[in-house]
Amino acid sequence: MTGRRASLMVTCLGDLFFPEVGISIVRVLRKLGVAVDVPTDQTCCGLPLFNSGYHGEAAALARRTVALFGDSQHVIVPSGSCAWMVKHEYPGLLAEAGLAREAEKLAARTYEFSQFLVGVLGVTEFTSAVPGRVTYHDSCHLLRGLHESQSPRTLLGKLRGAELVPLPGADECCGFGGSFAVRLPEVSSQILAKKVANVEATGADCLVACDAGCLMQMGGGLTRKKSRVRALHLAELLDGDR
Amino acid sequence: MSGGELATPFRQRAGGALKDAFLQEALTIATTKFIGLRQEAFEGFPEGEALRDQARAIKEATLQQLDRHLETLIGNVERLGGHVHYAATPAEARAIVVDIARRTGARMAVKSKSMATEEIHLNEALEAAGITPVETDLGEYIIQLAHERPSHIIAPAIHKTKGQVAELFSRELKRPAEADPEALTRIARGELREKFLQADLGITGANFAVADTGTIVLVTNEGNGRMVTSLPRVHVTVMGVEKVVPSLTDLMVFLAILAKSATGQKLSVYTSLIQGPRRAGELEGPEEFHLVLLDGGRIAQIGGPLREALSCLRCGACLNVCPVYRQIGGHAYGYTYPGPIGILLTAMLEGAPAVKDLAHASTLCGACADACPVRIDIPRMLIDLRREVDEKRIAPWTERVAFKLLARLLQHPRLYRFAARAGRVLQRPFASDGRISRLPLFFGEWTRTRDLPPVAPRTFQERWASDKDLRT
Amino acid sequence: MTTKAEFLGGIREQMKRTLGRFAASSARRPEHPAAEAETIRRELAERWPETLDAFRREFESVGGVFHKVASVDAVPAVVSRIAREHDASELVAWHSAALGADLGPALAARGLDVHQMPDAEPIGVAERERLRAIAARADLGLTGVDLAIAETGTLVLVSGAGRPRSTSLLPPCHIAVFDRTALVESLRQVGVVLEAWHGDGAPPAAGAVINFITGPSRTADIELTLTRGVHGPREVHAIFVEQGIGG
Repeated sequence: MTGRRASLMVTCLGDLFFPEVGISIVRVLRKLGVAVDVPTDQTCCGLPLFNSGYHGEAAALARRTVALFGDSQHVIVPSGSCAWMVKHEYPGLLAEAGLAREAEKLAARTYEFSQFLVGVLGVTEFTSAVPGRVTYHDSCHLLRGLHESQSPRTLLGKLRGAELVPLPGADECCGFGGSFAVRLPEVSSQILAKKVANVEATGADCLVACDAGCLMQMGGGLTRKKSRVRALHLAELLDGDR
Repeated sequence: MSGGELATPFRQRAGGALKDAFLQEALTIATTKFIGLRQEAFEGFPEGEALRDQARAIKEATLQQLDRHLETLIGNVERLGGHVHYAATPAEARAIVVDIARRTGARMAVKSKSMATEEIHLNEALEAAGITPVETDLGEYIIQLAHERPSHIIAPAIHKTKGQVAELFSRELKRPAEADPEALTRIARGELREKFLQADLGITGANFAVADTGTIVLVTNEGNGRMVTSLPRVHVTVMGVEKVVPSLTDLMVFLAILAKSATGQKLSVYTSLIQGPRRAGELEGPEEFHLVLLDGGRIAQIGGPLREALSCLRCGACLNVCPVYRQIGGHAYGYTYPGPIGILLTAMLEGAPAVKDLAHASTLCGACADACPVRIDIPRMLIDLRREVDEKRIAPWTERVAFKLLARLLQHPRLYRFAARAGRVLQRPFASDGRISRLPLFFGEWTRTRDLPPVAPRTFQERWASDKDLRT
Repeated sequence: MTTKAEFLGGIREQMKRTLGRFAASSARRPEHPAAEAETIRRELAERWPETLDAFRREFESVGGVFHKVASVDAVPAVVSRIAREHDASELVAWHSAALGADLGPALAARGLDVHQMPDAEPIGVAERERLRAIAARADLGLTGVDLAIAETGTLVLVSGAGRPRSTSLLPPCHIAVFDRTALVESLRQVGVVLEAWHGDGAPPAAGAVINFITGPSRTADIELTLTRGVHGPREVHAIFVEQGIGG
């Protein structure tokens, strides 16, 4: 054991739709000697409410989240957008309630999964659970909000059994945008179609991203097309030494 | 058009744009090209990042002393023999310009490209007063002949193919026109040359106004800006108050990044620094110069939530990288200014109700903020607009109720867990093969084109709670 | 109609509510621009060959045509060659005082129809129209250059008596003659020079416009296809005179 503790912020989409991602994260971290806990009664970081302008309601969720993770040494988040919400928006949202300092403390201890592996644990080599060619999509909040484009690529580049191929337009939005996907579904779908075309053109077997929203959008487009490309979260690929 | 009852006018216009094959191809080619040009320009320009920060700081500092800088500008323009006018509203601005035109006996006015004059719908007012406005920027000339509005801030006719332009020229100019850009440009040059030489009045906007020196700065590539401000007897500039910069030294910072952001050029072909009407000894130049300072909603934002948007240089970089603009083009937005900054400017000029749908025409991806030469945080202001739309009850009540319900559910873990269990039951008729490909009602907006993963048989937290081997 | 007081009053009202979220200052202006401009000139005098090379590269990359001659006497030959290439004969030029040399006779001797712009303001509308018509039909426009910016390949021309705006705008071919004294390296340095001209220094001329010209007139408004010579000249030539133009 490294003496490190990590609390998993599983996220609403992760909890409800991609539980295997959370499981992979737990297994990967444990194998690296990190003690993992999962605070109970998690729901949502509040980003969907925040993005649609319901800031009072988002602040209530922020408050709840700050309390839930009050004792955590490190908070690990599978989605770049949720990690961004905690790190960048919580302090502002909770200023009025006088909780800015607690929010800053949580922000400082919160990491997106790939950032934690590379930046904190300094671990970069894994065996791929899915052999073959992989390609990586930069989620907008991870890329532009958390300024992170390298850690996932480092991990994928060193993945034993996998070959990383570049995705043209990797930094272009997938078209999810939360409620945007259903408010302007035609536009969202056309953006997605271009992304899917780029993905298929790489010849990859697997599309990797670090955000549940992106994976729902891109995965949904790929399976609708009956594409042979699978959309997976980074954690699922790293969970390879079974 | 699918989703009928739910489709707003904006969504319908967007849908129409998606089906326009010409537009789609034009948008892909043009935006991709602009993105590449801009990237190349900044790659070879390491000082660029520091200059962008400096440009942003200058804009902010200018706003902090805007009254003083405007006083200085006004004093200098008047000292140089120019006249300054104050337009609180678009209607006032139109009236001022029409009045100048009438008083000086102008019958025809040549115009250099000016989004400010588009914004106030000046051309219609001039025509109504019996004065013929002639757009001279090639893109603006094309859309004027077509009776359309600009679809991009710097390339107004980007949505037209050369075939469409040739057809337009043949029809409107009653002369044969080949579908070749060189040939079409030559036609425009010939037609407009006469207008420049005959016009009584030249109307421009201003990219900047230097307070210290009373200088109006015009940035163009074609030369029409120079023509319009040198040949006619009278020159009128319509300018938003936020365009003022304190000094020539400040100006250089902006010139170093403006063209690079817009088209990838180090400088546009012509940058003209105009200090008032013509002076003694000059062969050319206007006898009269008028500066019309335009508020139109800008001043209210100096202390308002859209203040940052006042830094906009009108370069169009945000349009080119926006995933939404790139699919639907400028006309679908429905207002003078399209794209990410366009949504903010529309809110500024027309009020929050005008953007109740447009505020959601964004995935909040942040590419616009990245590309903006003065680092305007557009996504943040879009979220603030959404908030204003909700708080002012401009959003439909069904939507507000749905979000409040969602908030309630997420606040209470038992409700959340119940919703998960309910979801699992309700989805049964629609789930097969590990995915959901069809959902009723509103949820069909997703499943029409995409699959959805089903709610997991056991959520992560359910598994964590019950699987001992997961916990150890 | 809104008055100045009302307009500015509204602005002041709004400014009271400003938050000033971050520290911001405008650019630091040179305290003694004329002195700084002089320093720039002195330093550049020593490295003008590199500056010229950089200028040539940038100028050519924006579509300019560069020529180099040893002395000003060689300029008419270059101009007449350009004229022949365009089957052109009519040339409008800045006044010799503005150009820094009297090239009229040598150009006329080579068969060019030379119209030198007067260095005093024309008297009467008819005279003004006549001169405008000449500029509008001329094939070539010959000017000097006040600043040549190496960073961007830009020619800076100040308007004034004997140096009308139209000479570099109306004819389809613009020919600009300059020497090392016009060279500057960067936009930043141009800023210093402009501040000097405005402040305590003396600008090259007293006209109302300073034009920065970076290559020939162009547009990409139709399908993003680049075309040249929209309203301004299709071609811009810069002739560098190594030994200097003036005496």
